[in-house]
Amino acid sequence: MTPTVKTLVNAEPEGRSAFLAARRTSTAVELTMTVLTVAVAVLIAFLVILATGKDASGALGALLTGPLDRTPRIGRWLADATTLSLLGLSVAIPFRARQISLGAEGQVYAGALAGALVAIHVPLPPVAAVLVPLGAAALAGAALGAVPGVMKARLGANEIVATLMLNAVVVRVFDYLLTDHLRSPASAAIQSDPVRPGSALPLLSDFFGVPLDQANIGLFGMLAVAAAVWFLLARTPLGYRIRMTGSNPEFALYGGIDVPRTIEWSFVIGGALAGLAGAHLALGVYGGLQPDMAGGLAFEGIVVALLARNNPVGVVAAALLYSYLRVGGDVMEQQTDVGSEAVTIIQAVIVLLVTARALPELVKRHLARKEAGR
Amino acid sequence: MNSVLDVVLSTGFLAAILRVSTPYVLAALGGLLAERAGVPNIALEGSMLTAACAGALVAGYSGSVWAGAACGIAAGALLTLLLGVLHLHLGADAIIAGIGLNLLASGATAYTVYALLGDKGGTSRLHSGALPSVRLPLIEDIPGLGPVLSGQNLMTWVALAAAPAVAWLLYRARFGFHLRAVGEFPEAARSVGIHVHRVQFLALALSGALAGAAGVFLSMGAVSFFVTGMTAGRGYIALAAVFLGALRPWGVFLAALGFGAAEALSVQLGNLDIPSQLVSAIPYVFTLLALAFFARRRLVKESV
Amino acid sequence: MEHRDKPPPALQVTGLGKTYPNGTRAVSDVDLEIPVGEIRAIVGQNGAGKSTLMKLLYGLEHPSAGRIRIRGLQVRLSGPQDAITLGVGMVHQNLMLVPSFTIAENVVLGVEPGRASRVDRTAAAERTAALAEEAGLAVDPEARVDQVSVGMRQRAEILKALHRGARILILDEPTAVLTPQETTDLFEAVRRLRDSGMTVLFISHKLKEVREISDRVTVMRAGSVVGTVETHEATAAELASMMVGREMSLEVPRTPARPGATVLRVRDLAGPSVHGVSFGIAAGEIVGLAGVEGNGQTELVELLAGLRRPTAGSVTVDGADVTRLDAAAHRRAGIAHVPEDRLSNGAALDQSIADNLIVDRYARPPLARRGTLRTRRVRDLAEELIRRYAIRAPHPSVPAGALSGGNLQKVVVARELSSGPRLLLAAQLTRGVDIGAMHFMYERLVEARDAGAAVLLVSADLGELLALSDRLLVIKDGRLVARFDDPAGLTEEATGLYMLGVEQHTDERITAGVG
Repeated sequence: MTPTVKTLVNAEPEGRSAFLAARRTSTAVELTMTVLTVAVAVLIAFLVILATGKDASGALGALLTGPLDRTPRIGRWLADATTLSLLGLSVAIPFRARQISLGAEGQVYAGALAGALVAIHVPLPPVAAVLVPLGAAALAGAALGAVPGVMKARLGANEIVATLMLNAVVVRVFDYLLTDHLRSPASAAIQSDPVRPGSALPLLSDFFGVPLDQANIGLFGMLAVAAAVWFLLARTPLGYRIRMTGSNPEFALYGGIDVPRTIEWSFVIGGALAGLAGAHLALGVYGGLQPDMAGGLAFEGIVVALLARNNPVGVVAAALLYSYLRVGGDVMEQQTDVGSEAVTIIQAVIVLLVTARALPELVKRHLARKEAGR
Repeated sequence: MNSVLDVVLSTGFLAAILRVSTPYVLAALGGLLAERAGVPNIALEGSMLTAACAGALVAGYSGSVWAGAACGIAAGALLTLLLGVLHLHLGADAIIAGIGLNLLASGATAYTVYALLGDKGGTSRLHSGALPSVRLPLIEDIPGLGPVLSGQNLMTWVALAAAPAVAWLLYRARFGFHLRAVGEFPEAARSVGIHVHRVQFLALALSGALAGAAGVFLSMGAVSFFVTGMTAGRGYIALAAVFLGALRPWGVFLAALGFGAAEALSVQLGNLDIPSQLVSAIPYVFTLLALAFFARRRLVKESV
Repeated sequence: MEHRDKPPPALQVTGLGKTYPNGTRAVSDVDLEIPVGEIRAIVGQNGAGKSTLMKLLYGLEHPSAGRIRIRGLQVRLSGPQDAITLGVGMVHQNLMLVPSFTIAENVVLGVEPGRASRVDRTAAAERTAALAEEAGLAVDPEARVDQVSVGMRQRAEILKALHRGARILILDEPTAVLTPQETTDLFEAVRRLRDSGMTVLFISHKLKEVREISDRVTVMRAGSVVGTVETHEATAAELASMMVGREMSLEVPRTPARPGATVLRVRDLAGPSVHGVSFGIAAGEIVGLAGVEGNGQTELVELLAGLRRPTAGSVTVDGADVTRLDAAAHRRAGIAHVPEDRLSNGAALDQSIADNLIVDRYARPPLARRGTLRTRRVRDLAEELIRRYAIRAPHPSVPAGALSGGNLQKVVVARELSSGPRLLLAAQLTRGVDIGAMHFMYERLVEARDAGAAVLLVSADLGELLALSDRLLVIKDGRLVARFDDPAGLTEEATGLYMLGVEQHTDERITAGVG
């Protein structure tokens, strides 16, 4: 053995424990940074509200504590977070494969449509009445996801453009179908017939005996899905393929990974999850189809996934955070005269602060300089 | 079918194409500059929205449409400069930062309008006015061409002038030279003493100004007030036009015109009792097909 | 006592050092004095600090310590612009040319002729042509850079420096991608430049060339200067030992090959840049492939690895036809591939070392069972390979990108060799790897051969090829032009003649016995 190798072997134990310790500290630091980021974003909103001459502390008080004041608000928070988590997970998978899929919006409407159609019109025995519409929704989302997936994988077509275009088409088709063909004669507002009682997702209010708005067992389903996504990515060959393709597609090809197929799967699985989010909206939250039922949730799901760096656990946490802020924003708007758009501002600032990776470095350097100056 | 043809071939329709294409052309050319400089500008939507809102507010409060237009364009540029700071100085991912800025713009504009005017819908209560349309005294009498060219808003002419201007900038001007080098091979540019970040910042400022001009047209040209969310995804469509146009000025110009034409068509056909949502989906279907077509063609060419 | 009438040296450096924020000391306490009109060679292994030193002299990096004096004036270079203004020009190893621009546009980039904000493209082309004529460097000013030869691109780089009035020219490994003829042309041009007053700094690790062109040689090792000698006074062996610090043998100890049955049979293989290649490799032998870079060897290896589709011909491994199959099928057939550019496709830099080690076996037992990845088994395997290949890393979950060049190559080699391949394709095995790790790689390669693998070694380093190959092939313009079944006694010059196409073997000799 050459001398270099000998010294290596001796150095190893130290190096290893140092590395593990460093890894632990850095995770703790990252967590603290995230908490700080949220605090800073809220502070900025505070200043903005103040600047427009409104009651800033009252508004922020309502924002931050409002959702917890009444159980229906908690229910709304959980229901929102469920949909948002599923949407975040749905984009996290293609993102991990380095595919910039912005197609959650179209997929969620497709899923809602498919799920609702089955749930409204097809009589089914008890458990199947819930599972079959869910399956239909997932299938619809998956099929829609396959389109940009195949286009990207086999033709190299830009998936940002493809998903944006598809979104626009699906949203309009949904709108058309709802207004012209699926509209319920029974009500004045534009909405579909309600889903069959057997297909509606059981409400948590019934379980816990406490009014929880539209929160339903979808919450537990979402947690199961999040765990499944984690398992997929970390512990399955397909997850390995997705991660390697995302990290370096050339390397994946060289290693024998079927990169086009992997890309397609990432889009398809993502689409299925977004479809499930749509089913949650149709079968749980609204009990039917409504115009604009997904609101801005699809894009928010993208933001949530980015915030969580495509980590399934992080996605759920970030979704809970963002939904909390949204519900708080509505409370704030009810109780004060501050618009709920302030919440959008907070959400945006969080994204910008988190993605400015160099920021923590600058802060650390500034603090170090101050220390040295003392 | 006859009625459709009548619509398409009318001068009113051709005039509508120019009008409706204006924001797409301006924003897409802005997106092109940023993309060629190596910083993808996803925040075109945000710049447009901010500019539309700022323009209308300033024009309404100051009484001068010109002040409004200037502030709108400046606002668009400022937002894009913020993207530059985030991406170039603070290491943010350009796409994430772009999406974040779009979110910020949508929240900030809606919040500001509500806070100032108490109106969730927009600034229609404020009389902000519009930029003038341009009458061409002799040309307007030419049959066919006249009604199409004369009477267009000033910003439409700005858009039409922007295409050759951007082409000149990219291929004949020193700055454009540096911009293309920076976008294609920043290391090479740096090694000959070009300040890569400075060039990129300037490119972003121009990009944002163009997107801002698009926004100004929306709230002070097409109509004379700001509506929350009035950009309605045009910034993203403009992005599509940048790619569809193969990152070349005239290609992007044509692609943007194509989107404008499709949108104008869907509006007109809507009058003919064809479901408006399906009709308005046409431009997007068209782009999707074109995307697949061009991708496939590129693939075939490369494998030869 | 200083002589007042002696002109100041073109370049003088005292106590120069560069320490990076992560603690790496790339250059430490370097003193250098280069008189005007001298051709000075800077030699050293990879990682000795030569490139960093040049970056400091060109303003691409800022020194942590020390001073730089150009023509007697102390300067602080805040960027390449300052260096250029002071007359320092640099021709980088990775050519800094914008692919879609023409040669002329690249030459004038940054100092374009033209009034105000316009660029006068005609003037640029004329200026370039005039400069090229004067310096004796043939280029086509209007040609797009991505469509011309490497040699012309390099000449364009030199013209770039001349266009900016360089009086000190730094050449960073200029001959790495040139044919022997182009190297001769380059040296001629350099001498002509020197005669007109240019001072030249020439970085290289090719001792033969250094001795041919330079007046003096400065040897660097581990970031410091070991010494400076007059070229005609030092032998290659002396220089080598200064570089390494111990008696360096250019021989790789190995027993003679005992080739068994033919493993690889290539017949009339054709594809992009490959125009009909036929050869065979038996189990237990190392066949070297020599050729100037860009003559099809990269593409040939990719065809054999299944990364490219051939347009004609066949490839069989142990009798199984793998010609039209994809990379995965090639791996299943027992083909392992150490790629030329580990950074682009040999590794996933932000993934862990462990993940990088299993890309060829993650879906099979023992690493996968019943559709799940067994992470403990993966980690055990990774730790075993790290130990066996002496990879310097504290933990298998360290991202591969944190490793040094040599260690990353060890990861690649560990992965490919541990699969027990029937055919090993090794392209540029020791590129960017320090000398200690180089010998390690050579030993592993011979080990693989002795374990019965058929080995194809492609290298731009003729010395390495001649030291390791049991048989040698030469490729030019996508065709095999020479075959040496007994390369003992073959010299680099002689091989160079075939690489250039001056000499050629007959087809019969080349394809004898391929079947």
